[in-house]
Amino acid sequence: MGVGKKIDEAVLLLPTDVNVGPGECVVLRGPNGSGKTTMLRILAGTLPPSEGEATLDGSPVDERHDLTRTAIAALVGAPATYRDLTLVDHLVLIDSTWGHVGERADDRAEEMLEQLEINHLEERFPHELSSGQQQLFHLAMVLVRPSSILILDEPEQRLDPDKRDLLTQILLDRKAVGTSLLIACHDPAMTEALADTVVDIRLE
Amino acid sequence: MTRADKAQLRQVRTAILGNRPDTSLSSTLYPVYVALIVTGSYGVPAAQQLFRSIDHQWLADHVWTSSGAVGAAILTALLLALVRLVGRVRGPVVPPLPYLDLVVASPMPRKVTLARNWRLSLGGSILGGLLVGTSVGAGLAIAKVAPPIVLLSTSVGGSLLGVLVAELWLQGQLQGSELGLRAESSLQGRRRNALALLDITGLRRQAASNVTMGGAALSGDLRTARLDAVRPPTHARRVRLKSSGPLTVFARRDLLGLRRAPGATLSGLGFAAAGSAGLMLSLQSPRTPTMAPLLSLVLCHLGFGAWCEGLRLHADNSGTSRLLGLPYRDTALAHLAVPVVAWVLTTIVVGAALSLVGMVGPTAVVWSLGTGALLAGTHLMAAFRGLPPIGVFGPKAGVPAMIFWYAKPILATLVVGTATAAWAARAASPWIAFFWLLIATAGVIAWGLALVAKRDRRD
Repeated sequence: MGVGKKIDEAVLLLPTDVNVGPGECVVLRGPNGSGKTTMLRILAGTLPPSEGEATLDGSPVDERHDLTRTAIAALVGAPATYRDLTLVDHLVLIDSTWGHVGERADDRAEEMLEQLEINHLEERFPHELSSGQQQLFHLAMVLVRPSSILILDEPEQRLDPDKRDLLTQILLDRKAVGTSLLIACHDPAMTEALADTVVDIRLE
Repeated sequence: MTRADKAQLRQVRTAILGNRPDTSLSSTLYPVYVALIVTGSYGVPAAQQLFRSIDHQWLADHVWTSSGAVGAAILTALLLALVRLVGRVRGPVVPPLPYLDLVVASPMPRKVTLARNWRLSLGGSILGGLLVGTSVGAGLAIAKVAPPIVLLSTSVGGSLLGVLVAELWLQGQLQGSELGLRAESSLQGRRRNALALLDITGLRRQAASNVTMGGAALSGDLRTARLDAVRPPTHARRVRLKSSGPLTVFARRDLLGLRRAPGATLSGLGFAAAGSAGLMLSLQSPRTPTMAPLLSLVLCHLGFGAWCEGLRLHADNSGTSRLLGLPYRDTALAHLAVPVVAWVLTTIVVGAALSLVGMVGPTAVVWSLGTGALLAGTHLMAAFRGLPPIGVFGPKAGVPAMIFWYAKPILATLVVGTATAAWAARAASPWIAFFWLLIATAGVIAWGLALVAKRDRRD
């Protein structure tokens, strides 16, 4: 039956069925307004569905539950940033809140920035980045925290072709170590490279 | 301004107005009329009541003395420093954006195109100073605290202060200019005319900010107003956040944030030290006017608030994808650690200094420490209040409802803090009042936590 979302008479998402297993990637496609972001928010446990139920290992997905938060890292909209912290500080903060302490956290933060080729920006504040650099920084914040499921809403937006290739490779590496990917994507090349299953979301 | 300049400006104004009648004189005089009415109806009676309510002996002992004069001079200097700071964000010369782009950016001399805005601000500032001085003087005279001649000196003093405020306000705006003024600049010769030195980028920034902040204030969006008013930090970027335990890292984060915003840190320290000293001193005598703890608590609230940026930034981020490993409520509480510790240290240092000179006892220090918990609760309320309820915008609610909604946290500080402090100063033993301070504080903290939970559920 799948999950759907209605607010009064407005249909935000028609009932849609999605399943993702370990090391699999599901790509959501559909025109603007079809409900891809709504679907991702439901799957991330930040929005309750009005029809059906989203579950994680048999339990309802709810962002307030520790289990959901531990498993799912989501980039759906711009994430929280502190404007008085630099890029590397953000990654150290996130890593520390997940229990990683000491030099390892610093190393992990630097590795992540290097992986996304923005290590030269580590001492910048978020307001000093271009829009493409901001997108890479947001991806770094999501990727640095531990997770078994990655939910990404159009991660390719504002990235140049080289950076899209770089991101695709990073996500393929994550898949290879067993991370599940749920992605809304408009880039055919990325979809081709990543998707095990493509779900087309209907507008009507 | 030459005759040719005047003629050109007249042409510009005619072009801007088109066929509409020129209402600039009436729109300038109307606020003056309202200010005069408000001063006569409310200002003078309020000042009179205030001076009647204050014990004359207390005034003679504390205000009409050389240390009272030094205190007044310090307060005036602080006010002027604050005005200069305000000028960097919102100066006295901020014409609307279309006027800036079409007229001020033209080759016409800037001292001509900006003169009208400057005259309005200068006039408003002088009038404000005059009316405040008149209210205070009239209040003193009617309450028979001072002879009627005091009205003359307070009015003249108020007007002169108004001139000084306007000048420093303009200097602040000039100081906020990103272009600055290099030694070799040909504009050096015009240094005496600050209007000629205002650059179009700075003027546009302030005009755009005016529009943003006006909209934010009307819609109750304090986050937008705050982020627009304060420049983002750029200091100490090379200092790294050190990783540590999930809770400790927030304290480290907030300390780093304060290091990167030295202005907020120092102003917080100044306000907190002055506020806690005032609060402790106000507990020493039953004759102390209630106004003393009230004003001290305003300073305490501002000081504590200056250290709470981490808490506010956490509240701002409500509704975004969560990346932190701690629950929302725990993160909020962790952000209170630095301001609370800073308050405790400030209170202990100020209290110890006052104890050494025999001005306060240990009870007053304990009282000020207890007030820190109240401040933590009211800042939790302030950070997580969110957007105002729809009812505030209803036709029956209006501006007073909006102001009340904005002011609820500081009102909680002032009502609980002043009532219990005034009670303690007048009671034989202050501990019953202290017990009620703690009870009320527990209520305020519970209210703050309920707001945190509400924001958490809204995600």
